[in-house]
Amino acid sequence: MTWDWSFVLKILPRLMEGVWYTILVTLASSTLALSGGLALAILESVSTTFGRAFVCFWLELFRGVPTLVLLYFTFYVLPEVGIILPAIPIGIGVLGIVYAAYCSEVYRGSLITIPSELRDACVALHLSPNVTWRRVLIPLMIKRAAPALLNYVLSLFRETAVLFALGVPVLMGQANEVGYESFRYLEPYTLAGVIYLCMNLPFLYLLSRFKDKHA
Amino acid sequence: MKAVFEYWPVLAQGLWVTIWVAVCIILGALPGAVVLAALRLSETRAIRVASMLLIELIRAPSAVVLLFWAFYALPLLPGMPRLSPLVAAILVLTLDGAAYGAEIVRAGIEAVHRGQTDACHALGVSKIQSFRKVVLPQALSQIVPGFGSLARSMIKWTAIVSFIGVQDVLYVANYVRGQTFDTLTVFCFLGAIYWILTALCGLTFRALEQLLPLNRALRAARASAHAPEIEVLTGAAQ
Amino acid sequence: MLNASDTPRSDPFSAAAAATSNATGAHGSDSELQQALWAIEFQKVSKSFGAHQVLVDLDLQVRPGEKVTLIGPSGSGKTTVLRLAMTLGKPTGGDIRIFGESILFEATGKPISAGQETRIRRRCGMVFQQFNLFPHLTVLQNLILAPTTVLRQSREQAEVSALEYLRMVDLQDKALSYPSQLSGGQQQRIAIARALVMKPEILLLDEITSALDPELAGEVLDVVRGVAQQSNVSLLIVTHEMRFAREVSDRIAVFDRGRIIEEGPPDKIFGQPDSERTRSFLQSVLNH
Repeated sequence: MTWDWSFVLKILPRLMEGVWYTILVTLASSTLALSGGLALAILESVSTTFGRAFVCFWLELFRGVPTLVLLYFTFYVLPEVGIILPAIPIGIGVLGIVYAAYCSEVYRGSLITIPSELRDACVALHLSPNVTWRRVLIPLMIKRAAPALLNYVLSLFRETAVLFALGVPVLMGQANEVGYESFRYLEPYTLAGVIYLCMNLPFLYLLSRFKDKHA
Repeated sequence: MKAVFEYWPVLAQGLWVTIWVAVCIILGALPGAVVLAALRLSETRAIRVASMLLIELIRAPSAVVLLFWAFYALPLLPGMPRLSPLVAAILVLTLDGAAYGAEIVRAGIEAVHRGQTDACHALGVSKIQSFRKVVLPQALSQIVPGFGSLARSMIKWTAIVSFIGVQDVLYVANYVRGQTFDTLTVFCFLGAIYWILTALCGLTFRALEQLLPLNRALRAARASAHAPEIEVLTGAAQ
Repeated sequence: MLNASDTPRSDPFSAAAAATSNATGAHGSDSELQQALWAIEFQKVSKSFGAHQVLVDLDLQVRPGEKVTLIGPSGSGKTTVLRLAMTLGKPTGGDIRIFGESILFEATGKPISAGQETRIRRRCGMVFQQFNLFPHLTVLQNLILAPTTVLRQSREQAEVSALEYLRMVDLQDKALSYPSQLSGGQQQRIAIARALVMKPEILLLDEITSALDPELAGEVLDVVRGVAQQSNVSLLIVTHEMRFAREVSDRIAVFDRGRIIEEGPPDKIFGQPDSERTRSFLQSVLNH
C-alpha cells in the first residue's frame, strides 16, 4: 500500500474535528484538575486529619489503577445506579479528578516550601486568613508549582487519546473510525501521530521557557 | 458476584499475560533508558540533540497512538514486518518506557554535585572510573526511586494492550463482564488486581533502594548519635 | 633516560630536572633550565567567562617547596588561578607550566593530548572549599579510590598508606565512618589526607576553611602547618585567614580584579605594603 495524498485530503477535515475535541477535552479536564488540585491542597492544609486522609486515599487509588479501568468503571457502573451521562463529560470528569489528585501533591509541595516567616508576616500585618490565602499564599503556590503542573497538563493531554475507548471523538477516535470505515490504516494513524506530535510543541516550548528562567 | 469467580481460570490467565508483559517492558526499558541517557549526555552536540529529538518523538504521541500505528500502519510500509499483537505491545511500551526512563537517568546523573567530578579530576581519576565509582553510585539513589515510580506507571500502561487484542487481564475482564453482566464486581476486581501489582512493584523498588551505597551512608549517619551532623551530610550529598 | 614519572616523588628538584631532560622542542636549553626552577609557572594567563574578565595577563611562579598564598577581595580571581592549575578549566590566553611542562600545549604549539595532560597534572593535588568527599564511600574508601584506580596499587598496599595519612591528620579511628558522620573540620582533614596519599609535589588549597565554623578551622590549619613544615611539597594557598597566611607562607601575592597588585614576603606585605589598595584591603579584613 502506498501513501495516498488525495485520501489524506479527504480525511483531514474529520481528523481536524478530532483535534477540536482533543483541545476541548484537554482544556476542560485540565481546568478541573488544576482548580480541583488547588482546592484539595488547601483543604489538606486547613483540615489536616480529614483532608490528608481523603487526598491520600484518592492518590493511592489513582496511583495504582490505570485510567482506562477507571474510565470503564465510571462508564459502565454509573448507568447501573441510574445516572446516565454521555461519554464526553465522563471522560472529562475522570481525567480531571485523577489529575486533580496528582496536582494537589504538586501544590502541597510548593506550599511547604513557602517559608513560615511569610505567614508570620501576614499574621503580624493582621491579614485575615482569607486574604492571606487569596493574595499571598495561593499566588505563590501557583507560581512555584507552574512548571510541574504544566508537565501534568501535558501528560493529561497525551492521555486524552484513550478516551476513544468510550467513543469520544478525540483525534485518536476519529483516526480509528476513518481507518475502520475505509480499510486504510496507514494515512489516518500516521497523520494522527504527526498531529499529536505537533500539538506537543506549545507545551515543550513553554516548559523550555520555564527551564531557562530557572537556570 | 459468585458468577464472576466461576471464571477464575480465564481471569488468572489474563493476569498472567499482564504480569508477563509488565515484566518484559520494565526489564526492556532499563537498558534502553541507560543507552538513551548516555547519548543524551554525549559530548558531541549533534548526538545530544538527535537523542533529545528521538526521546521527545517517542514521548509526544501517547502510547495508544504509537501502539495502533505500530500494529496497523507499520506493516503497510514496504519491507516492514507484520507484528503479532503481543510483540507490537511489548515493543511500543518498552520504547516509551526507555524514553521516559532516559530522562530519569539523565536527571539523576546531572544531580550529582559538580564538586564530585572536580575532586576525581584533582586526584587524577579517569573519566570512566570517576563515572563508575563516584558519579553512578550516587546517581542511583535518585535513579532507582524514579525508576520505581516509572515501573508502577508502566504496569498501568499495559492496560492499553487489550485494544489490539492482547488477552491481558483487562481484555478477559471485559469478556467476563459480557458473560455475567456483573459490571461492579468485575471492575472492582480489576482495580484491586492492578492496585496490588503496582504496590508489589513499589515494594520491590523500595527494597532495592536499601542496597544503594549512598543510602547506606545516610542510614549510618542517622544511626550515629550526633544529630547536627546529619545536616552536614545532606549538604555533602547534594 | 630518566622518566619524570619514575623519579622518586619526595624530591621535587630531581623530578624537575628529569622533566627538563625529557622535554624536547623549540625552546633553547637555557630557558628550559630556568623554567624547571618553577614548580608552577603562569605565563601571561588570562581567563574570561563571557564578557567578564577574571584574570588579566597573569604572571605567577612558585618554586619547588615554596609556600605561596594568594590573598585579596573575593571575586578577584584567586580561586580561578587554582582551578586553572588543576586543569579544571582552560585559560583564554597564555600558558601554564608544571615543572617546566606546559599543561596546554605541546612543544610544537598543538594542544596537548589528554594522556599527556593526565600525566603532568598528576603532580598536582587539590583540596576544595566544600571538601568534595565522596559521600557514598567510607573514609578509607575515599582515600584508596585514587591509589587503586590511578596508581594501580593493590588494595592492601593502598590501605596501609591511607592509614598512615589518617594517623597524620589524627583521624585513624574514623577509617570506617562515612563522611556524613564527621564534623566539617574532620571532613576537611580527610580531604587533605585524600589529596596527600597521591603524593603530589604541588598542593593547591582553595579556601579550605571558608565552609567551616571558626572553632573548627583551627584543627584544619594545624594539619596544613604540619604538612608545610615536614614535607617539601609546594603549596599554593587561597585563604582569608590572614594570621595563618602570614605564618605559613614564604611569599604572599595580593590579587585585585584579576591582577597581582603586590607580591613579597609576608612581613613586608603585612608590615609595610607598597600599594594603597593592599593597605585598605588588609585594613578591612584585619579590623573585621
